[in-house]
Amino acid sequence: MIDVMIIVNGETRCASVAPETTLLALLRDHFGLTGTKIGCDVGDCGACTVIVDDQPVDACLMLAAQADGRRVLTIEGVASKDKLHPLQKAFEESGALQCGFCGPGIILSAKALLDQNPAPTRHEIRDALAGNLCRCTGYAKIVDAVSEVARVYRSEQSRG
Amino acid sequence: MQCRKWRAYTVVSNPVAEGKPVVERERLAIEEALRGLDESAPLPAAVPSTRLPVEPLVPVPGQQIRAVGQRAVRPDSRNHGLGQTRYIADFTLPGMLHAKIKRAGVASARIKRIDTSAAEAMPGVISVVVGCEVPVNSFGPTFQDQPVLADQLVRHAGDGVAGVAAVTEQIAAEALEKIIVDYEPLPAVFDPLEAMREDAPKVHPPKSNIYHSMVVRRGDVEKGFAQSDHIVQGRFTSQMVEHVSIEPHAAIADWDANGRLTVWATIGRLTLARADLARTLQLPMNHIRLIGTIVGGNFGGKNEISQEPALALLSKKAGRPVKGILTRGEEFIASTARHPFIMDYKTGVTKDGRILARTARLVLDGGAYCSWSETTLSKSCILAAGPYKIDNVRSEAIAVYTNKTMTGAMRGFGAPQTCFAYESHMDDIATALGIDPLEFRLRNAFEEGSQTPTGQVLHSVAVKQTLLKAAERFGWEIQS
Amino acid sequence: MKRRGRGIACMWYPIGFTVAANPSAAVVKMNEDGTALVLTGTVETGQGSLAVLGQIAADALGIATDDVYVVSADTDTTPMDTGAIASRTTYVTGNAIRLAADNVKSILFEVAAQVLRVAANQLEARDRTIQVKGFPRCSVPIGEVCKRAQTTLGQPLISSASWNPPTVALDPESGQGKPFSTYVSATQIAEVEVDDETGEVEVLRIAAAHDCGTPINPMLVEGQIEGGISMGIGFALQEEMLFDGAGRQINPNLTNYIVPTALDMPEIDVDIVQNYDPTGPFGAKGVGEPSLVPTAPAILNAIHDAVGVRITSLPATAEKVLAAIKAKRTDERRQIPAP
Repeated sequence: MIDVMIIVNGETRCASVAPETTLLALLRDHFGLTGTKIGCDVGDCGACTVIVDDQPVDACLMLAAQADGRRVLTIEGVASKDKLHPLQKAFEESGALQCGFCGPGIILSAKALLDQNPAPTRHEIRDALAGNLCRCTGYAKIVDAVSEVARVYRSEQSRG
Repeated sequence: MQCRKWRAYTVVSNPVAEGKPVVERERLAIEEALRGLDESAPLPAAVPSTRLPVEPLVPVPGQQIRAVGQRAVRPDSRNHGLGQTRYIADFTLPGMLHAKIKRAGVASARIKRIDTSAAEAMPGVISVVVGCEVPVNSFGPTFQDQPVLADQLVRHAGDGVAGVAAVTEQIAAEALEKIIVDYEPLPAVFDPLEAMREDAPKVHPPKSNIYHSMVVRRGDVEKGFAQSDHIVQGRFTSQMVEHVSIEPHAAIADWDANGRLTVWATIGRLTLARADLARTLQLPMNHIRLIGTIVGGNFGGKNEISQEPALALLSKKAGRPVKGILTRGEEFIASTARHPFIMDYKTGVTKDGRILARTARLVLDGGAYCSWSETTLSKSCILAAGPYKIDNVRSEAIAVYTNKTMTGAMRGFGAPQTCFAYESHMDDIATALGIDPLEFRLRNAFEEGSQTPTGQVLHSVAVKQTLLKAAERFGWEIQS
Repeated sequence: MKRRGRGIACMWYPIGFTVAANPSAAVVKMNEDGTALVLTGTVETGQGSLAVLGQIAADALGIATDDVYVVSADTDTTPMDTGAIASRTTYVTGNAIRLAADNVKSILFEVAAQVLRVAANQLEARDRTIQVKGFPRCSVPIGEVCKRAQTTLGQPLISSASWNPPTVALDPESGQGKPFSTYVSATQIAEVEVDDETGEVEVLRIAAAHDCGTPINPMLVEGQIEGGISMGIGFALQEEMLFDGAGRQINPNLTNYIVPTALDMPEIDVDIVQNYDPTGPFGAKGVGEPSLVPTAPAILNAIHDAVGVRITSLPATAEKVLAAIKAKRTDERRQIPAP
């Protein structure tokens, strides 16, 4: 067993786990954060995307030990205490989520994109989401929603 | 332009955060940034007891949006976006065990012996189950030809042969390795055309491999062909496809002290699942409760029981709840798939583009078990000629067993396969006649009151409207 | 070199099961404040059925979408449902809910008729009131009617109903009969670009025009069509389960079983054509499966238009398309007469 300490959604959490435990298993089974989903467990589908130190990462491909001492943002940390993140609001209003299973991973990939590039083109959005599979939506309203958030941000930037 | 708004706060002095430890500063920085980013989406401080607006229910005539036709936000959207939707895999019950099913790995075999003793002896393994322990080890919508766990014959490589429940998924997976199964390989057949032959190995002996067939006929196709100016033929084939719901199949089984079974499952047809559990476990229906939550995609692949009876038995033996989640690999090998089709079409037309006769012959690769093949076969047989006014039609379809993954319900039940054939075929005919593909379809498409190949008179028909609307949107100019 | 082509495909698809009974039952209950609960045995599988079924109940009762909460998927507490299959939920379960709501409405009308001193058949439910048809000012808030029914008259507002599509069995010899109660249709047109040196096909644009009867929630109908098209693109160009000589799958994983990603999707123009089916709830039919039916042939016809080859086996992988292009070139060369 090894001890790991990670800063999840701003909060320091510790656990004692078997060395082969993935970050995904640590989050779901040890920290009870079930918002991050298991779609394939081998890094093909992106359902387990989280943000580790600014980078979007498949949590199933990272060992808990590799995340030791690092900052991890999961879907549970995206909204603030009392407000939805603009992405969550846009996804809701444009019907971008259907079964919702890919949703957390997609929202985190989109957030990572917007944090780096707040004015992406539709192609750049598609490219950033290429590692997140969705079988329900055809990605159409997802790309619309992310574009809308980018558009609002751009117009605020030009105003301010 | 690089913009890391939240990062900026850790560099620039932030009076709120000054003096606080690093972690606290970063948390505050994240909050500050997010507060800055959105102003207009307040969350309720606590879950409200009703979603009614704050103002009193004073009627204002004509003010309310009518519900039908409204682009209403889905009720589950909020939870989805927050990651708070609870799928079956997210549930934990006290004392819950994790189950894994051992897959045969051979396409056709007789099981001579199963030895589970080493698995049962492993620390952390609480219960093990094999096929002969299932009270009625068969299910299926048309024929009950599929075992819960293969007991005597394995008919495809994904057949389950034993189940294990253990305190962790890891231990359950390791226990599967310790289960010894002696197989006697049997002849197998994988190609449906081969499987149709008299001398082919039988997948369900003594039954013929042809397990469903259907004919729809109207008018006189030979006469129609004789009257045609042109006859066009073609063979079209389609492949086996998986649903690939992002959520794998999952279920939890638990019993109470009165012997009442509760199963939480990702199944889309709970009434049917209850009937199947009642039958396989020999329980009265009011002793079984099926609960579904939100399913992460179905597309036809989650419409029947699969591992649930095995989980129920593991749970009964263990005296604890048992959860089973299929791996992505099992989604491919052990759950149903779309039927591959082989489709032969022949159409007779006049030189001015009127269809006089059409025949379609469809062979469905019916996999190892019947599953939803009958529905797929009947729909494709009825739809095979396409949405066209044709007086002389004959379509026939057969479903054939093969020793491959069972083919069942998948979005469209044979319609995507037959539409691929008949619409490719339509374009081949249009090319042969030198008529624009859109024009050719408009000349022959169903109208209000048209009769289908089964003699049904259609109502609320809109085929031509969809042709014209799509063409208008696309910018399709008819080329003469 | 890249060549563009366009292809069209249209289709028809039935709603419900082939002949066989596939009923749905539903319960509608109204609370004392005019909000409502719907109990249905169906399961939300992502398509948005709970939203749509709630909207049907809301419209039938004259209240807002937000006033209805749909409870589903529990064999102990929700009535039987044949299930989320065969694109039947809006049509069959929707009809059951509309019938149950109509039953509840007649209780509301009886109660309100006493208050307003009119005949029950002069009333309608809209804008959260029970009002006299044509005289909206002569009305009672629905919450008051509900409270009065339950607490003054002792008549709780609850009713159940079921519905099954009427069909006629098919003759076993000729297949003649009425297998389904209704059908929908659709056309999709695809524009593709084919690289004639690699065989790779890119779908640039799809226009989809679908008939679904009345769209109860147009945003969700669009979502189904867009999602269906992504499955259709996978079916046409990418997806295939492969088996080895011993019947074992070669690619049971998402690395080697290719499904469309966001980069594989074209821009999609969706149109819902105007249509009303009197046999469906508020004229609605369905759209869940029809969405992907015409996509593959539209794409394959576009490939034919672009490079003149007819691919007759799916998926139309780059290898197949390239092989067909090369074969066509060889054929064409052979046909040129020797000098």
